[in-house]
Amino acid sequence: MVRAEEAARLDRLESQVENGGGGAEEYLCLVRKLKARRSDKVLKHGLSILNDPKARSKLGGEEWTLYEQVAFAAMDCQQHDVAKDCIAILSKEFPGSTRVGRLEGLLLEAKGAWAEAEKAYERLLEDNPLDQLIHKRMVAIAKAQGDLSAAVNLLNKYLEIFMADHDAWRELAEIYMSLQMYKQAAFCYEELILSQPTVPPYHLAYAEVLYTIGGLENLQTAKKYYASTITLTGGKNTRALYGVCLCSIAINQLTKGRNKEEKEGSNLQSLAAEALQRDYKERAPKKLPLVISMLKNMKLNS
Amino acid sequence: MGAECCYEVSQIAYIKLVLHALKHRSAAVNGLLLGRLRQDGGATATVEIADTVPLSHSQIGLLPALELALIQIEEHFEAQGLSVVGYYHANERHDDVELGNAAKKIGDHIFRYFPRAAVLLLDNKKLERLQSSKGRDPVVQLYTRDSSKSWRQTGSDGSNQLTLKEPAANVVLLDYISSEKWQEIVDFDDHLDDISKDWLNPGLFN
Repeated sequence: MVRAEEAARLDRLESQVENGGGGAEEYLCLVRKLKARRSDKVLKHGLSILNDPKARSKLGGEEWTLYEQVAFAAMDCQQHDVAKDCIAILSKEFPGSTRVGRLEGLLLEAKGAWAEAEKAYERLLEDNPLDQLIHKRMVAIAKAQGDLSAAVNLLNKYLEIFMADHDAWRELAEIYMSLQMYKQAAFCYEELILSQPTVPPYHLAYAEVLYTIGGLENLQTAKKYYASTITLTGGKNTRALYGVCLCSIAINQLTKGRNKEEKEGSNLQSLAAEALQRDYKERAPKKLPLVISMLKNMKLNS
Repeated sequence: MGAECCYEVSQIAYIKLVLHALKHRSAAVNGLLLGRLRQDGGATATVEIADTVPLSHSQIGLLPALELALIQIEEHFEAQGLSVVGYYHANERHDDVELGNAAKKIGDHIFRYFPRAAVLLLDNKKLERLQSSKGRDPVVQLYTRDSSKSWRQTGSDGSNQLTLKEPAANVVLLDYISSEKWQEIVDFDDHLDDISKDWLNPGLFN
């Protein structure tokens, strides 16, 4: 909830700054904190502070952070010259810094100079072989060139060293899915669930992958993970509620109702169907007839 | 089957598709094309694409959300005499001009129910040029399934099977882009995250 409040504060601040009400420093700081991607706004307001010596001197040590932030934003908006200027200033202030070196590599990437960017990163890795961010940039370069199998290889090598990096496991799962390698994607989610057993999106994603693979055993497991998503979210996850319904229909079609275990557990889908109807009635009444008719066709409407 | 068939996209269908892709610039997006078949007498038939429903901007290769969307969208448009006549897709990478496997598979599925199914792929280069060229051609590529069951890009032999119903659609589109209308587009993914968001985008053209 804290996040939602801060996101709302970010929107308020943005319109205040946009309308000339001041507060640009606070806005830029909040963008950094929330890791929001509002590059056009950051570039505009960040640059106007940096170009104003009086405003810039008030920043103190934050000045350099702002140069970095504006450099990122400028690259995102394809303003390579602005980015180059920011990076040059940082490089003068912090000679030999890896953090600035990464920015230089990033600028090469932004220009599409993949081979040069790779060389720059390789040089940085010689001094800091365990710099995770640089390894991730190498994956990003492979991905940007559309070479997904190279990205998979790099990520797998990376995960041999940094096994606890959840973002990397998730990225690997998503690449596998875009290659339609669902079994491998499922393995990634198993790793994620093992290391963080109470994160609902991992349970949900695992269930969705298993449903996509299909087959009786996978559908039964998918249903269980949809159910655990419902438990972990207090029944608030629409995808999981639908998922339970879809799974039980598919299981029934495969077993033609013969499966004893399914019959015993058949309460679950009627409860999910009820919860869906309740939610739609309250929050999307216009769509309720569609949902009721769909559940009726699935024979889940009691 | 493809050669004697024409495809005509309505302005609202076309604009929704492009705005959806613009909202999620760093992700692949997809959606469904709704319409009907019109026999003009003689050998020619026209698929009128009247509307689009944006589906997803994440995990396009997963089945559950796609199945749900197909069930609910078909049911909704049946009452208006429209059915699913195709699929649209925009790739994740700007310079990727290939129709990917997931898109082909979804196209195959729709083809089973509607043999003249169209797959539209957003052409980033044409979209980029639109600002300066003010061209009237649609910024999408049309793919149809040929007799060897593979999806083939049409128009490469000079014939133009895809037309915009309203010739000024690109002018309106540019207007919508400059007023940042894309921020308001809601897809089925958004709906599943928050069911109060309507995938029909009822207020978009007001």
